[in-house]
Amino acid sequence: MEQANPLRPDGESKGGVLAHLERLENQTSRSRKRSEAQAQERVLGTKIQKLRHLRDDPRAALWHRRGSVKACIANVEPNRTVEVNEQEALEEKLENVKAILQAYHFTGLSGKLTSRGVCVCINTAFEGNLLDSYFVDLVIQKPLRIHHHSVPVFIPLEEIAAKYLQTNIQHFLFSLCEYLNAYSGRKYQADRLQSDFAALLTGPLQRNPLCNLLSFTYKLDPGGQSFPFCARLLYKDLTATLPTDVTVTCQGGEALSTSWEEQRASHETLFCTKPLHQVFASFARREKLEMSLVS
Amino acid sequence: MDETVAEFIKRTILKIPLNELTTILKAWDFLSENQLQTVNFRQRKESVVQHLIHLCEEKRASLNDAALLDIICEDVDLFDMKQFKNSFKKILQRALKNVTVSFRETEENAVWIRIAWGTQYTKPNQYKPTYVVYYSQTPYAFKSSSTLRRNTPLLGQALTVASKHHQIVKMDLRSRYLDSLKAIVFKQYNQTFETHNSATPLQERSLGLDINMDSRIIHENIVEKERVQRITQETFGDYPQPQLEFAQYKLETKFKSDLNGSILAEREEPLRCLIKFSSPHLLEALKSLAPAGIADAPLSPLLTCIPNKRKNYFKIRDK
Repeated sequence: MEQANPLRPDGESKGGVLAHLERLENQTSRSRKRSEAQAQERVLGTKIQKLRHLRDDPRAALWHRRGSVKACIANVEPNRTVEVNEQEALEEKLENVKAILQAYHFTGLSGKLTSRGVCVCINTAFEGNLLDSYFVDLVIQKPLRIHHHSVPVFIPLEEIAAKYLQTNIQHFLFSLCEYLNAYSGRKYQADRLQSDFAALLTGPLQRNPLCNLLSFTYKLDPGGQSFPFCARLLYKDLTATLPTDVTVTCQGGEALSTSWEEQRASHETLFCTKPLHQVFASFARREKLEMSLVS
Repeated sequence: MDETVAEFIKRTILKIPLNELTTILKAWDFLSENQLQTVNFRQRKESVVQHLIHLCEEKRASLNDAALLDIICEDVDLFDMKQFKNSFKKILQRALKNVTVSFRETEENAVWIRIAWGTQYTKPNQYKPTYVVYYSQTPYAFKSSSTLRRNTPLLGQALTVASKHHQIVKMDLRSRYLDSLKAIVFKQYNQTFETHNSATPLQERSLGLDINMDSRIIHENIVEKERVQRITQETFGDYPQPQLEFAQYKLETKFKSDLNGSILAEREEPLRCLIKFSSPHLLEALKSLAPAGIADAPLSPLLTCIPNKRKNYFKIRDK
């Protein structure tokens, strides 16, 4: 059989034409596909670029910012030290003010404003020694009242308040200061007597809460043969640190020789005019002097 | 002379007993001998006082003179422990031949007294003693509840005379804890004071709320909870409450009702009832009522006034 020749005309060209058409069709579809692919490629290409930009722009911005921040820090370093200095200065000022407020305690009367009034602080002292502190928390209302306080129960706070709190608050505070300072002073003297001069006492010191009645027995020469003295000190003025009445007697009740009588009388005067522990200090000094004279 | 000065002097002189009047006036040394001689001290006290005021006016007494008189008249308590003990014991022994009295002094200026009571014919019963704690130079004493009530007036008398006071009054305050009674009576239960040295009084308070709740609910709750905390803190403070076991209210009031025709409201006589709150620690329990949501804040002043008024037994009547 003879094979069909695509280039032969008629019957032979039919196979040839169809095949040619097929070939052309394939060509077109191939080229179409090619151009589609190219178009898609282009689209994808642009998409990739866009994505790259999306990724790269923030990165760039970040780097840029880091760079500028670093530059800023380099500039800012000197400013931060200034801030630190200011802070130190403020802290110093604060410490100063705190110290001044604490120093107010030495005036004896200080206070701090509270949400409802004022909290008054009374610092007592005797002969340059700072003693206990007491507080009175006042509510500023009509009528003025005491909210709470740390004043000892045997100080007549209610009486003083009844007299002066509503009419003259300065007088109230002044009067209270007087009572508290006097009480602190008397207590201090009694404590000093008990602690420093126990050797001269022949019995325990009798005292009451207000320290306004003291009684004790003492000897000028602890080991010696002399008679002990009995002293009874009454402080009828609660605003004073010296007694109002003093009685010194000789234990034994026998008639005293004139020298003993003189001594007894002089002791009475001493207790009336000098603080208790100072009187005993002078007794102790005298004793030492006499001892040194003897030896 | 200022009216206030005149009033002050008048009140001061009225307080002086007649038998001491001349001595004190002499000690005052403001009115002269001649002036004092013109006064008839045998009259009624009011007339004497009037005459004296008149003399003070003539001499133009100042506030300083009045203050000086006040100081001289001051009734200073010169408490002597020995004297007190002797006096107390004597009074009881004079009234009841058979009585055992013992004393013990403690550091806080308190004297503990134990009294075993007998009668004229029977020996003291040592198994039912009464204990008294007296704080010298204060007007307060604490007594244990005793079954032998008939001796209470005598005990009161002994305390009054021995401590040189004028009268004794029973307070409506009872507890098993002497320290708490002391804290309330001497008003020492709050010993925190604001000073410039202390730390800031305002404290951050964590309300312990559930963080998983809807944030809107928490906000509303926070406002109310903070309000309750603030009111509770203002009423009860930050300090530990003194310990009481009871609060008792005896009511004699008319029943108040909104409902018309309520049987109870129509009564003419007041209603009598007794309400008693009891707890191992009553004041702490009251303090926790509002924060726990059991009661509204602020609590009734009848409950919150207990430490301030120094009573936990109340009688309430209609005014």
